[in-house]
Amino acid sequence: MVDNDIILDVKSISKHFGALKAVNKVSFQAKKGEILGLIGPNGAGKTTITNLVTGDLRKTEGEVFFKGKNVSNLWPFQIARVGLTRTYQVVKPLQGMTVEENVLVGSLFGRGDRKNDLNHAKKNAQEIMRLVGLYKKREFVVSDITLPDLKRMEFARVLAMDPEVIFLDEVMAGLNPSEVEETMEMVRKIREDKQLTIVYIEHIMKAVMGISDRIIVLHHGEKICEGSPQEVCDNPAVIEAYLGKKYAKEVMNS
Amino acid sequence: MMAQNDNKFNINIILIIIAILVFIFLPNFVSGYYVRIFTAIFMYATISQCINLMSGYMGYLPFGHVMFFGIGAYMTAILMGRGLPFIVAIPFASLTAIIVSIILGFPVLRLRGHYFAIATIGMNGAIMSVAQNATEITGGAMGTTFPIILLPPGQVYNYFYLAFLGLMVITTLAMYFIVNSKFGYGIRSIKANEDAANSMGINTTYTKVSAWAIGAFFTSIAGGLYGYWMSFISPDEVFDLMFVTNSIIMMLIGGAGTILGPITGAFIIESLSEFAWSGFMEYHLAALGIATIVIVFFVPKGVVGTIANKIKNRRIALSKKAEVSNG
Amino acid sequence: MSLQMLVNAILLGGLYALMGIGFSLQWGISGIINLSYGAMVVLGSYLSLVVFNALNIDPFISMFFTGFLLFFLGAFIYRFALQPSIKGGIVFTLIITFAIRLIVENIILLVWSADYRTIRLSYAGTNFQFLGTFFPLTKFITFLLAGIIIYLSYQFMTNTKIGKGIQAVALDKEGALAVGVDDQKMYMINFAVGTALAGVTGSLWASIYSFSPHVIDVMIGKVFIIAILGGLGNIWGAAAGGMLLAFAETSGATFLGSQWQEAIGLVIMVLILLFRPHGLIGKKFFG
Repeated sequence: MVDNDIILDVKSISKHFGALKAVNKVSFQAKKGEILGLIGPNGAGKTTITNLVTGDLRKTEGEVFFKGKNVSNLWPFQIARVGLTRTYQVVKPLQGMTVEENVLVGSLFGRGDRKNDLNHAKKNAQEIMRLVGLYKKREFVVSDITLPDLKRMEFARVLAMDPEVIFLDEVMAGLNPSEVEETMEMVRKIREDKQLTIVYIEHIMKAVMGISDRIIVLHHGEKICEGSPQEVCDNPAVIEAYLGKKYAKEVMNS
Repeated sequence: MMAQNDNKFNINIILIIIAILVFIFLPNFVSGYYVRIFTAIFMYATISQCINLMSGYMGYLPFGHVMFFGIGAYMTAILMGRGLPFIVAIPFASLTAIIVSIILGFPVLRLRGHYFAIATIGMNGAIMSVAQNATEITGGAMGTTFPIILLPPGQVYNYFYLAFLGLMVITTLAMYFIVNSKFGYGIRSIKANEDAANSMGINTTYTKVSAWAIGAFFTSIAGGLYGYWMSFISPDEVFDLMFVTNSIIMMLIGGAGTILGPITGAFIIESLSEFAWSGFMEYHLAALGIATIVIVFFVPKGVVGTIANKIKNRRIALSKKAEVSNG
Repeated sequence: MSLQMLVNAILLGGLYALMGIGFSLQWGISGIINLSYGAMVVLGSYLSLVVFNALNIDPFISMFFTGFLLFFLGAFIYRFALQPSIKGGIVFTLIITFAIRLIVENIILLVWSADYRTIRLSYAGTNFQFLGTFFPLTKFITFLLAGIIIYLSYQFMTNTKIGKGIQAVALDKEGALAVGVDDQKMYMINFAVGTALAGVTGSLWASIYSFSPHVIDVMIGKVFIIAILGGLGNIWGAAAGGMLLAFAETSGATFLGSQWQEAIGLVIMVLILLFRPHGLIGKKFFG
């Protein structure tokens, strides 16, 4: 029986590098329209899971279902075309091309079941750039813009693909507090406008708390907790993972 | 603003048509010597366009690309040797080249950068070896001949001149439409950032193999024409890496990643070759070498590339000014 | 394989190993596919010829001079022609090294013409026998010297400060930069070492075989195969690659007839690139 609410169903995926289990039998589901936080200390496996789900990395075991369809064996470009997308922690702009061209490529090649000839794609790209606040800089070559703008462009690019699920991989890395605020506002607003499902990956607990509907906590490649932000905050295993056993005991006893 | 751009576009088209017409009638006004030089220019421009598509636009340098030139030459020779007229042999020869490019393309285009370039050199060498050793079919290392054309030589040279001119124009047009299409954005994205291209929904394997097949197609036709023009080919001649290296240098001089770059580069290098240092045959190689180094250092974007860049920068500066005064 | 063939292959392999190492280092560590490498080898041969004709000094001794000279030539080329063009990518560096090859080839043609040259050593024809097989003296000395130089190169790379610096940038550029290693200087020295090895190879080659500008293409073809067989930047890998090529050539010539030998060599090289780009030996760099 398919639960219509669940748009992404990750079943027990693992990634072994020889003896190292980078990701070990992780399962989770994302409901349509929610912001699902994916947190954990550095090295917990968050980006690896993103790579496994989007096909950038091959799974050692496990399956991924998107909108009820098994996408476990698709190529990354095929997964992108059905609407399951991601941004990169270290941005990957199309070098040598302008902001507009970057977003245009997303528009041209993104979701496959729509009119994406050059004319439609150009219009779509312009609209997205306005939405995200990059229209004025559309003719800038990517080597000439700042990091916050690069992140904004990467977000615009993925939006232009008309996705249904976006894995935002540490989109805050490298931004100062006011830039973080701005970005969060933009993400919130756009999520509402377009009814996106966002898997929000972060390693800083605070950044994730205010925005997520639910949170999944990873540690050493395994899921150690899942629930509302408050539940996760109070969970002893989570506190231990972030603070270590010794300090966790102190926090618990205080 | 739009009307202004349209006018510029139309002027360019008119200029190009005039240029083509001039070249069509040129043989009536110049000696056979010049006709042959221009024919060589058109041929190199064609090959250079194919290399430009792979390298200048897509970022994969097919150093062994001459293999398709040789395949085109040999397949045409073999088929004509069996009695087929040139017009029929050429499509089959280019079909062979396309098939080879697809079969070899899938495995070899998974390699990046250096490895891809070297692998194509290896492939070219292997195919050349086949041509050298399959003596019953190819005539072996001694080479093979084409049927003689029973027409006065001047006329023959003019026909090949026009044929290569036509090939160059068609190839360039094809490149223009490809590069400005959706497929062209796919090609450019691969060079810009192949990982990102994949994650955006571009089927990079299909794009890479297709681009290579397109290059193989036009290059093989050039090879077939070349063989018929020369009447005689040998393996180490039509699989010679110098064809590719010359084409690469021409691409760099003219401007990699531009449509007119390869043509410009072909004109410059061939002219230099014939007029600047033909009087100094002993310094021929060194002159080409030094010229190459100078260009790479002082005009890295090539002639057309540098001009195109200046135009673009001016346009951006003007539009920025307009925005400031409007907003 | 007969014992004589085995001996022939090993003696040849030593020379190939030395030749391949220089090219492999330049490609694997300095990141330059040096299309002028063949020209450098042949240049080494001609330099030894000059010294031999002028001073009657054997190439086995003049090879030090050749290596020394070509070290600085390599450093010069890297610093002024290659380092500035690296940011242009492989197209630029390939074309520049090709241009350098053209220039060197032209110089050789102008000074010495395209004729084949030889260095006639007085003891060139002598062999000695061991276990019933013939060891041509010049080839034997070449093998010994090649082996010594390969060993010295290995010692340089692993036991000197500069060598360790080169290793460092090869294995982890950021880490090396972080501890203050000048990466471009290391790449330059590495490249110069490669050119020096090419020159030494040329001198040794001249003691046995004849040479001319035509040999340039032959050399480049061989070093490609050796470097790919052995994995780039790997001294012992390239050495093994050189041995492998020597064996393939010696036995291939006997079993298959040299016709298809080249084609097979190339096919093998392409297959290795496709399926084991780190070479048959496997590990990257020094291992």
